[in-house]
Amino acid sequence: MEQNNSLTPFPQGLASPPGAMTPVMPIFSPTMRYNTGLTPQPVQNTNSLSLLEEQQRQQQQQQQQQATPQLYHSQVSTTTALPGNTPVHTTPLTPMTPITPATPASESSGILPQLQNIVSTVNLGCKLDLKTIALRARNAEYNPKRFAAVIMRIREPRTTALIFSSGKMVCTGAKSEVQSRLAARKYARVVQKLGFPAKFLDFKIQNMVGSCDVKFPIRLEGLVLTHQQFSSYEPELFPGLIYRMIKPRIVLLIFVSGKVVLTGAKVRAEIYEAFENIYPILKGFRKTT
Amino acid sequence: MPSSCPECGSSNVVEDDLYSQRQWVCVDCGSVVSEGHLTTTVSDETQGRAVPYHASTEVLKKPCRNLIAGFSRVRALCRILRLSSDMESAVVSLFERAYNHPNFIFVTLTKKEILGGCCVLSVCRQCNWPVAMGTIGYLLGVDNATLGTVYREFTKALNIEISTIGIMDMLESFCYDFKLGPQQVEEVFAEPPQRLVDRTSALIELAADAWIVTGRQPLPLLFAAVYLAWQSLNPTVRMKYTFVKFCKIGKAPEQSWHRSRDSVVKRLKELRDVLCKLGRELPWLRGGTVEPNTVVPLVDDILKNHRALLLRAVRNYEQQLQNESQTAQTTECDNELSDSNRSESHSSTTPELMDPDQAGCENPADKQATDCQLPPDHWSKRHLFLPPCVKNRKRQRVDAPQLEVTGDEEISDSEIESYIRSQDEIEMYLKVQKELKKMA
Repeated sequence: MEQNNSLTPFPQGLASPPGAMTPVMPIFSPTMRYNTGLTPQPVQNTNSLSLLEEQQRQQQQQQQQQATPQLYHSQVSTTTALPGNTPVHTTPLTPMTPITPATPASESSGILPQLQNIVSTVNLGCKLDLKTIALRARNAEYNPKRFAAVIMRIREPRTTALIFSSGKMVCTGAKSEVQSRLAARKYARVVQKLGFPAKFLDFKIQNMVGSCDVKFPIRLEGLVLTHQQFSSYEPELFPGLIYRMIKPRIVLLIFVSGKVVLTGAKVRAEIYEAFENIYPILKGFRKTT
Repeated sequence: MPSSCPECGSSNVVEDDLYSQRQWVCVDCGSVVSEGHLTTTVSDETQGRAVPYHASTEVLKKPCRNLIAGFSRVRALCRILRLSSDMESAVVSLFERAYNHPNFIFVTLTKKEILGGCCVLSVCRQCNWPVAMGTIGYLLGVDNATLGTVYREFTKALNIEISTIGIMDMLESFCYDFKLGPQQVEEVFAEPPQRLVDRTSALIELAADAWIVTGRQPLPLLFAAVYLAWQSLNPTVRMKYTFVKFCKIGKAPEQSWHRSRDSVVKRLKELRDVLCKLGRELPWLRGGTVEPNTVVPLVDDILKNHRALLLRAVRNYEQQLQNESQTAQTTECDNELSDSNRSESHSSTTPELMDPDQAGCENPADKQATDCQLPPDHWSKRHLFLPPCVKNRKRQRVDAPQLEVTGDEEISDSEIESYIRSQDEIEMYLKVQKELKKMA
């Protein structure tokens, strides 16, 4: 495994030479995991992976990267503030072998959480007459007695928006940040066409939800005992364990089937970082009969 | 100030108040020369207004009626659950704190009742006294979800640390709830509680190994396990009694099991399936069939040797999988795999007896084999025992293909037009609305 800690931390598929346009800091790296005492430390797992499996996993990652280069593009997060870099470096499919070798257990999980929902807000910058909007738009519903906003939906990207009379709007249902931005712009354009002087001010992503599958069952009772200060597991109320990670501030719902839901992120990297933090811990509780 | 008396003309007029009324009286003839106002205006009063009730000391000394009723209810709960006097006083003081907390002082009376239950639950958890939420729920007559929301609010508001309670902690008190002592029921049904506890705990440990316990409501599982344990302790006589019959024999309170009857039936089925899987490995059955409805007599043997049986079952299953994958191989995969399979089967035949985990470890050769076939959740087929939610996936989630967008591209006018009503549509809509209003 030591040979992988070479000077080529970047995948073969990309044309960028190392050193020329090196990112200032990878958005998340395994070394960050051990920074603060608030980051959960992985319990030393007894099921250490064999060398064969390790190599196969790395091979798989290589294959994945070469097979789907366009995947990088859609994972570009335009909201993260990386100063002047080409976004492709921030792909989390990069095997995150640190340049300074850390402990051998710090390889990446090889699993990528998929984003399921993005909630964003934007200010259209003018007062709106909701009755007019509900009358003149095909895709709008408005029940002032039930809720004080117009609920509008568009087909592509498949999203829903809540438009308030103050001119503020909430857009939900998109699967990526750029889709959310595009959808919000489309809603603003619809409102414009209905005759209001709508602008597009202060677009901000408020929440991102991701999910993934670690593909092994998890002993939730064990996890709640060892990580008591972060976890809450009440099988009588909810079948999953609620893990409140401090750094990054993400809430994870961990289920016995191995599925994990991550929510509360403002940027994509927080979800990836949270998952990379929790994966070694979960591996420690993977006890198959 | 008058100087002379109009009656007698003397100038000896003194101020002589009658109680609180100012009067000027002539000393010689005693007549009242003049007097002040009997009533005073607000600005005159030095004492100020009357003290309102909420500021009077009566409030401090006498708590409000609902709080008193709450206290008696909470004490009754403690007595039903047979808590010690220390715990009871802790519950009462916690309830007072919670009741007077600004988040809870103005809530509905039902919520205040549930708050009492939450206090009991919280103190029981702190003192490691095993009480399930379901028990408190059925004592108060509310469901778990309502109790749960109030409990979460309560712990947040009062900054109480929640400690989780395990199913094994609840087991003993649960078993003792059933009245199956020799004096209480007939000889054939009677079971000393300790024996029942031991057998039930063995069954639950087995269920936990087989992933039936994690993530599930504990009470239905406890019911199922106690029923199976009771049956297995005298199978010849007790096999014919259903779960409902058993609850009636043991005089379990009907509200506690009635609602979760369906879950209990499901858990029973799952437990029996696990027992069957292990029962098939019993060597003296020589491969005879083991059916869920006839597995109960074998429970004794299965529990005595459960570790060895688990190992055997898992190993046989893996062997079966390897055989299947070998026959389904393409030629190149086959050559590569048969070597690694042989090496893997060597390593898997010598696991340590006290470490069944290793036997079920991911087989890297298998993983590559299954990648050739590429079904989406094939990892689940590698394990014999899995949480049922993994094995019984009802509907495959289909992810929509990801849109390739940049967020800043041009939005076509035609697309936006498709979301806006034409003038004709608007007129028709208004016409229909008017007609509907006329009709209504």
